[in-house]
Amino acid sequence: MEVGLHVRDASEIRADLRLGAAAGWESSTKLSAWMTAVTERFAELPVSRFYFGTEFCENLLPTAAAVEAVAHASLPVTFLTPYVSDRGLAQLRPLLGLLRAGTEVVFADWGVLNVLRWEFPALVPVQGRLLNKSLRDPRVTNLYSIHGAENASLDAMRRSNLDNASYANLLERFGVTRVEMDHLPQGNHFELGGSAMRAHVYAPFGFISTSRVCMAAGLHYRGAEKFQPGAPCRHECQTHLLEYTYTNSPFENLDQQFWLKGNTYFYTHTGEMLDRLLEAPVDRLVFQPRVPMVTA
Amino acid sequence: MKILAPIRERDELEMLLAAGAEEFYCGITPKEWLERYSGAVWLNRRSPKGSGLDSMEELRGLSDEVHRAGKEIFVTLNGPYYTAEQIPLVLRLAEQLSGDCGVDALIVSDVNLMSRISDAKLQAKLHVSSVAASLNVEAIRFLQNFGPSRVVLPRSLTLPEIAGITGAVRREIEIEVFLLNDGCAFEEGFCATTHHHSVGAFCTSLSDMRTSFDWQGPRLTARRERWLRANLDEYRRYVWYLNGNGCGSTPKGLPYGPCGLCAVSDLHRAGVASLKVVGREASAFKKMASIKMANDIVTRVRGRQERLTVIERARSLRAEPEHCDAGYMCYYKVTA
Repeated sequence: MEVGLHVRDASEIRADLRLGAAAGWESSTKLSAWMTAVTERFAELPVSRFYFGTEFCENLLPTAAAVEAVAHASLPVTFLTPYVSDRGLAQLRPLLGLLRAGTEVVFADWGVLNVLRWEFPALVPVQGRLLNKSLRDPRVTNLYSIHGAENASLDAMRRSNLDNASYANLLERFGVTRVEMDHLPQGNHFELGGSAMRAHVYAPFGFISTSRVCMAAGLHYRGAEKFQPGAPCRHECQTHLLEYTYTNSPFENLDQQFWLKGNTYFYTHTGEMLDRLLEAPVDRLVFQPRVPMVTA
Repeated sequence: MKILAPIRERDELEMLLAAGAEEFYCGITPKEWLERYSGAVWLNRRSPKGSGLDSMEELRGLSDEVHRAGKEIFVTLNGPYYTAEQIPLVLRLAEQLSGDCGVDALIVSDVNLMSRISDAKLQAKLHVSSVAASLNVEAIRFLQNFGPSRVVLPRSLTLPEIAGITGAVRREIEIEVFLLNDGCAFEEGFCATTHHHSVGAFCTSLSDMRTSFDWQGPRLTARRERWLRANLDEYRRYVWYLNGNGCGSTPKGLPYGPCGLCAVSDLHRAGVASLKVVGREASAFKKMASIKMANDIVTRVRGRQERLTVIERARSLRAEPEHCDAGYMCYYKVTA
């Protein structure tokens, strides 16, 4: 299994790196000890590819200088892109132009795929995890696997449309042969509809939900202006994290936690999920040593 | 520009037509699906319990009556995805809806299903659901590979963004936007949670959870934490508005909930083709009251009533200016 490491900027890209080098990159006091333990669990895995960019917010797109610096690294790079408005797409286009031929670009938006296809055919499109629509609601989906016998509903929740041969063919028609997914609280069936298709799985954060309305960005607005879609921000998300505890659960998982950073909620992988990770029949592990809302 | 109404049963049709509905959408979950899948695995974006029609016979009857009234009816097949096991059942359903029931369009979000329906060359047109998150012109251009006649834009797009999109594609494809009743704190197409009744919506459920801030900048002072918490409280108030003011109604029984009435003049000018009133599962009274409000405003806009007068009328229809002034009940930010 190939290992990709999500870095903040070019200064973190080094040859002969192992995942252990990323221990301590998460600065949150609530998550740093857990993150260090998780990183140490995979410490000896050699990193062969670097991920850079953002999947969740067009306001976190990196600067052109940061993209250029990463593009000049001699190691394989995958560029993450978010869902975008037309304004965000206009900002993204010149950044794509800085990437070297053969660079992978993860798209979370069909518009980005269209732009890649027609304007940047030398770049390699990869379907992002946001376009993999499996339910991952950690309030409840994991309970199906704990309490329920194997049944059609659980089976469907462990899959997505990616097990359809017709979908694999469709993606291939658009030049996509790699797809990304989350490690699901209810477990995954990793079967893909096409033999040429390759899967990547993320750890140790799973995405729950994201929004064009950012609570953190609201800090610097007043009254009715506070929570407007796509509003400009000061990257307030870079300075704080909000931990939610599922104290109103109707089930027994009252200690379940969710993490809000900026406009996106995440769950963290349990020890059991991490144990299963290395046995997953996937082509690549994408390791994110920080809550994946970094910018450069 | 038409008013699109939700409908759950034939008995609602006459009343909704009288209130001003000009096209209809509904859902149906076949018995075959219900026998195989339970819990959070829904065939479309609404729970099968109480939001859709009960049988194909009933849908066929409704479709006939809608057509006799000279209107069109659309059916939602907008689950976020369908697995390889599910897709044959959904395709059979699509064929029945198009052929036997004569519905005019299928509302779809899964790109694989769009492609399969396009290949099947059904009589029914294809509408791209808001769940497909068509946030930009290029996304619509991509989805045009599957031949849709309409795209439903997500709620999160602003008026200038909608105008930009309609300006670019309106000659090729119809654009539908949300007008009344249903809020979503997240980008609906990028929300991987369920609204299953056992847990409710994630966004509203968050408002009752214990929270704790972690500050990664300089020290988290008491003053800074108060500032963060005040913002969180205000955000929860915003979500309360999105959730129909806590699922409430005005003293006159009119529905609360997100509203775009003030923006109808701007949406009309932008070239929007359809205004969607949400709430298949809502009571007949709520549907009728919503369509009446929509019709009142759309009639004025069609009659070229001045924009500010229309905005004033919209605010008076909502009857509770303090809620309008909060700004959180608006789908679209309108500048006077």
